[in-house]
Amino acid sequence: MGWLANLVSTGTLSQVLVGLSRTTILFIVSSGLTLILGVLRIPNVAHGSLYMLGAFSAYTVISLLGGGLSAFLAALVIAPMIVAAFGFVLERGFFSYLYDREHLMLLLLTFSFALIIGDLVKIVWGSEYRSVTVPEFFQGSAEIFGLPIPYYNLFLLLIGPFIAVFLWLVINRTKMGKIARAAAVDAEMVSAVGINVGWVFAFTFVLGCFLAGLGGALIAPMVNISLGMDHSLIMEAFLIVIMGGLGNIWGALLGSLIFGLTQSLGILIWPQFGIVFPYLAVVVVLFFRPKGLLSPTW
Amino acid sequence: MLRVESVVKSFGGFKAVNGANLEVGAGEIVAVIGPNGAGKTTLFHLITGHLSPDSGRILFKDREIAGLSPHVLCRMGITRSFQVVNIFQRLTVFENVQIAVLSRERKTFRIFSAVQGMAAEEVHSILRNVGLYEQRDVESDLLSHGDQKVLEIAVALGGKPELLILDEPTAGMAPEETERCIRLIRKLSDEFGLTILFCEHDMGLVFEIAKRIMVMVRGGTVVQGSREEVRRNREVQDAYLGEAGEC
Amino acid sequence: MKKTHVAFFLLLAALCSLPLFLPRFYTYIAAIVLLTALLATSLNLAIGYGGIYQFHHAVFYGIGAYGTALMLTRTPMPAALGLLVGPLASALLSLVMGVICIRLSKLYFGMLQISLGSLVWATVYRWYSFTGGDDGIHGIPLPDRIATPDGAYYYTLAVTALCFFAMHRIVGSPFGKALQGIRDNPVRSSAIGVHVKAHQLVALVIAGFFGGVAGSLFVVVNNSVFPDMMFWTFSLEVLIMCLLGGMYTFFGPLAGASILVLLRVFVSVYTQYWSLLLGAILTLVIIFLPDGVLGYAVRRFRPVEGRRA
Repeated sequence: MGWLANLVSTGTLSQVLVGLSRTTILFIVSSGLTLILGVLRIPNVAHGSLYMLGAFSAYTVISLLGGGLSAFLAALVIAPMIVAAFGFVLERGFFSYLYDREHLMLLLLTFSFALIIGDLVKIVWGSEYRSVTVPEFFQGSAEIFGLPIPYYNLFLLLIGPFIAVFLWLVINRTKMGKIARAAAVDAEMVSAVGINVGWVFAFTFVLGCFLAGLGGALIAPMVNISLGMDHSLIMEAFLIVIMGGLGNIWGALLGSLIFGLTQSLGILIWPQFGIVFPYLAVVVVLFFRPKGLLSPTW
Repeated sequence: MLRVESVVKSFGGFKAVNGANLEVGAGEIVAVIGPNGAGKTTLFHLITGHLSPDSGRILFKDREIAGLSPHVLCRMGITRSFQVVNIFQRLTVFENVQIAVLSRERKTFRIFSAVQGMAAEEVHSILRNVGLYEQRDVESDLLSHGDQKVLEIAVALGGKPELLILDEPTAGMAPEETERCIRLIRKLSDEFGLTILFCEHDMGLVFEIAKRIMVMVRGGTVVQGSREEVRRNREVQDAYLGEAGEC
Repeated sequence: MKKTHVAFFLLLAALCSLPLFLPRFYTYIAAIVLLTALLATSLNLAIGYGGIYQFHHAVFYGIGAYGTALMLTRTPMPAALGLLVGPLASALLSLVMGVICIRLSKLYFGMLQISLGSLVWATVYRWYSFTGGDDGIHGIPLPDRIATPDGAYYYTLAVTALCFFAMHRIVGSPFGKALQGIRDNPVRSSAIGVHVKAHQLVALVIAGFFGGVAGSLFVVVNNSVFPDMMFWTFSLEVLIMCLLGGMYTFFGPLAGASILVLLRVFVSVYTQYWSLLLGAILTLVIIFLPDGVLGYAVRRFRPVEGRRA
């Protein structure tokens, strides 16, 4: 009975909230990944590396601007743009010539980019880990249900839905977004109608990279920014995308929620094997719905 | 030998096959004809297990076979050729037929014997019968289209079938190749006693070798009977033969 | 045929004599090359010959290694048994994972396999008390004969040669031909009586088994195991080896593995940016040599033979 009371009281709820704040970052990154996968049909293994690049870039921007809230907010805009620019070069320089190749080839190509970006980061920033302090504005925590939740986590929790809605607007209400959705289903038709599919692909890829960079910038104050953060994240992001349905943004949201929550609750219930729970969840979902929870775009 | 009764198959609201009936007796050569889109290939897919019917029965030697997998049906004695050439492109002519033979002999799980030259006698004999023996070591995607269609049949023969189903065996063939194919089908029926079911657009061929003909229009069977019966049937004339009454 | 036999024996003789004139470190590297080649070739059974999207092959490598390591460190069983249990465990895992995943095809198969494999990795990674968790297992005791660098090398050479011989036979067997048929044309295969899923499952178990053998060899050569052996990125590296060397030839993966391992060892002497180089090479290969190094060589220098499977 004791553990039940513990669960029902503050423990679970604060764990849930912490899990949800991590979910925001997972969602942002995986939505980028699922966009690229859905529209361009590229399994972008380099997505984790772009996320890492975003984190390191944010570190540099904040250091250059002297820290503080304004520097942090600037980093949230500039770092993703750096990553997006990088992605633009990758897309125009390489992917645009290779779209007709098989998935396997594209996957391995993105893997090679992941390797390259990983070392580029090492070259530019060195091997030691960096850290970004949480800006004063966000320091401290609020008392929610009797337990302290860091303000920064609350911030992440709040902007999560905001970004989801923003993405929804871009995909469904802008012209580019609608064309991208059409291209996801049938790129040939879109091009036959006279629309330059190439720019649609470039736009989508750049947006996906921007999101990866944003995720990295957002997580910067929470973790040690180090080499290797790309590896763990890319696996999680892919599993989320697979669980949610390839190309489906809401699927990415749902997947991130499930992943984040099962991880937090898992650690609460069984601290040693807590992180295994999300993987188990993915397997269970795929077993019953092999194409993911929501419909994939292809 | 084969009986199809009131079989229905829809694809999302569109009834590709709508109450088709077919009867094939042992040793007969039966043809299914009909305009494009009448559902002939779909019907064949239903018989050979590549699709499952929504309703109706398919009986082979009085056993219900609807919904069984293709590899199970092959073991029961039904093999087929495909409308669009569907052979193993990277393998040679010999190897193509060899796999079919080895599969029938249930040797495909053998992992420690060398496959080189296995079942050579039988493969050679099949190749001689269809006339591809000279090209046995040619990689199959290098063959002419007509030869590839013959190879289709040869592969189907590898399974030593009782019922051979041919989906448009002469599609895309030049006249001499068509002649050759007709002779082959006759030989398979006369010499080897195979029951043959095929569908075709070439009316000349159909009326030349088919003993009985089934006419499909819009997924349903209009009539099944002898050449004369079909030719005389009003509905068929209206829907299909039109001015082609020169047969 | 005779010419290739002679070449093969010469190669074998050369490999046997390596420890006689190479310093210890290079003997170790040679052993690593051999077992990695075995691993890559085992993957190719599934992906090159079977056309199965085996995206997480490293799991079987890792379980083979851990199985052997655990048997050797935690049980009093004789080493020979330990070295056998690892690959058998991989084969069993391959069977279980295969049965779960085989209902799906192509990309979805690969994705479910990645998920299952990640689950296995995460479990091994966290089960500190049993598997050593993040640290792995070190200082694994081995029988005296194979505990020395030379001994480990000869053992690896013998086992690898045996496995290659076995895999070559399998590829050239009726099963191998049926598998390639399934790869090229599953519809046709089914129509001639081949139970597609059953054959694929057998291929997966065989691939998993030989992958596990490679894992157990790693235990012998390196005396340790660690969770990264079954991390997804390593699976991708092994995939790259197959791609680099050529997926549609038998010795392609061996070439790819050799190139990659040797390149990593020698390049690392001069620079710590090995990943950058690998990434660059891989990019070039993907863009210019879609058939892999060996595939390209075969097509260029032996065009007739190159067209055969």
